[in-house]
Amino acid sequence: MGSGFLTIDTEPLKSVSDIERTTLMTLFPGRIAALFGGRRWRSLAPLAVLIALCVLISIANPNFIELRNLVRVANSAAVPLTLAMGLTFIILMGSIDLSVEGTLSVAAMVVVLLAANDSNGNDYGWLAVLAAIAAGTAMGLVSGLAQTVLRIPSFMATLGMWFIGLGLSVYMLGGSAIRLNDASIRELALARLLGLPLAVWVAAGAFLLAAIIQYYTKLGRHILAIGGDEDVAKLSGVNVTRVRIAAFALAGFFFGIAGVLAAAQLGQSHAVIGDGRLFAAVTAVVVGGTALTGGEGGVVNTLIGVLIVTVLANGMILLGISPYIQQTVQGLMIIAAVALSLDRVRLRIVK
Amino acid sequence: MNEIFSLRPFLDSKWTHGAIPLVLLVGLLLIIEIAAPGFLTAETTALLFANTAVLFILATGVTFAILLGGIDLSIQAVASLASVILAQLLPSLGLAAFPVAILSGLAFGILSGIVHVKLRVPSFVATLATGGVVTGIALWVSDGRAITIEEAGRENTAWINATVAGVPVVVLISAVIGIVSFLALRYTRFGRQAIAVGAGEPAAWAAGINVDRTKIVAFAASGMLAAIAGVVLAARLSSGSPVLANQLLLPAIAAVIVGGTAITGGLGGVARTAVGALIISIVRIGMTFVGINIFLENMVFGAVLIAAVAITIDRSKIAVIK
Repeated sequence: MGSGFLTIDTEPLKSVSDIERTTLMTLFPGRIAALFGGRRWRSLAPLAVLIALCVLISIANPNFIELRNLVRVANSAAVPLTLAMGLTFIILMGSIDLSVEGTLSVAAMVVVLLAANDSNGNDYGWLAVLAAIAAGTAMGLVSGLAQTVLRIPSFMATLGMWFIGLGLSVYMLGGSAIRLNDASIRELALARLLGLPLAVWVAAGAFLLAAIIQYYTKLGRHILAIGGDEDVAKLSGVNVTRVRIAAFALAGFFFGIAGVLAAAQLGQSHAVIGDGRLFAAVTAVVVGGTALTGGEGGVVNTLIGVLIVTVLANGMILLGISPYIQQTVQGLMIIAAVALSLDRVRLRIVK
Repeated sequence: MNEIFSLRPFLDSKWTHGAIPLVLLVGLLLIIEIAAPGFLTAETTALLFANTAVLFILATGVTFAILLGGIDLSIQAVASLASVILAQLLPSLGLAAFPVAILSGLAFGILSGIVHVKLRVPSFVATLATGGVVTGIALWVSDGRAITIEEAGRENTAWINATVAGVPVVVLISAVIGIVSFLALRYTRFGRQAIAVGAGEPAAWAAGINVDRTKIVAFAASGMLAAIAGVVLAARLSSGSPVLANQLLLPAIAAVIVGGTAITGGLGGVARTAVGALIISIVRIGMTFVGINIFLENMVFGAVLIAAVAITIDRSKIAVIK
């Protein structure tokens, strides 16, 4: 799998060096563990959870492994996966982006209002998609600037941006739902390639792009370095401010794509298009094994995390469990995953 | 007595922090008075206070969490769940539905606190997670719908909407809550310890303060006050819904920060939150008055929140801003 390339050398950034890790690395499971950005067997836990979940649900209801249902799982994973890609970079830095829902609804609003719709005469086609992604990136850029220039914690800066985005999109939509009539954009959700909706391929593309950024670019390595130890990163010559702003803009870029996908899937945009999406994205990232303290984990973890969240949601529907209880389950999963993964040595004070 | 004296100069030196919001509030009132002379009658003032009550109760709760240097992002979920519980149980339990709804908030507040402290999960994630748990339960219990409080139930909620000697009961409730919280923070051991933990957790810990217990109590207070806010809101709207209070999270946090409580903890209090809640309320009324679209309110509050955090934050206390 070329795991040698995908292994990130975070060792110089950590003060702990354990011999146990190097011995593990020589073994095959260790290599897989390395792919997940982890150092111990524990980092394989998310994958084990995913497999166990699939097996258990299949036993309880064999319909789960039908091709039609698996396509459905892939389809409902598309938007969360794209969102979680962006969020992963922020959490890798040790920050958080609460503006997921606001940015997504701004992007969805832009694409719906600029493409053919039932509210105004615009018909810019795919230019609307570009504009929506640009709007998402701009929102991220503002979050990044607010955090670094005003020097306030990211959860406060992005909490503000969450509601700024929400207010802006609801205002522009006039408080109502507006339909997306552009056939070619709707194709994203309706047309299929090799049996899978185009949205799934877009999400897969987003995953590949995120993987390339994390493993092969300077930005990706700098983000990890900042998450590992910001002071060390700064002393090593990383321009922390610029990397932080770039990371938030990058996250906004992914949220923008997700907004377009969400609008295409629903065929409309409305005030609550983002509801519950922040929660699902955060759950996916932390369940995948990316530590909230930063510097540990990555987009491969998040892929597994998204699949866990989506498979569980699908399984609950198949088993006839009220879909309303999903948020409760996700909340418990966040608590469990964070409690299991936090590196407590580095975290004496928890605020 | 010594500990009181050692804290005093620290608070005094920052008194300007507390004065700015007050000046802002008076300025806003003056602007209204000039723009619409005669607008501020006893009646409209009572209405203003009544409309601020729910926001103030929520904000008072979250003040406890913020004073400790934490945050509670579950208040809107807890308030909504309390409204659902009240609406569900009023027909069968009558007045006993009130304590049940309020105790649910206390329970989930304690849960947030335990998750935060014992599992060592940062408070914004711990409360985001418990908020999700609570929202799920509220959706499940109510089947995703709003529950109207019928005629029979309304007999038991009427007292909340009544007035005593011209003062709305909701205002009296929030005044009692405000005074109790103010006294609890200023004159009890818990209040002192909470401020000490917020001002400097390692020092508080070294001084022998039970940091964990203080935090759990603070989050319990936050949850319980959120539930009270939810109950009051349900009684005023004669309805309970799993999304009833969703729009109140941001204004509540904004009220605390605008009032002059720093998110870094240790500085601020309930009196400031009262000023902050009134400012938010007046700004909201003012926006409607000036003709700003109601949908843009969230944008304004989001921007106000970012600005207020940037002004009040104590940067010397955070080595790395994440």
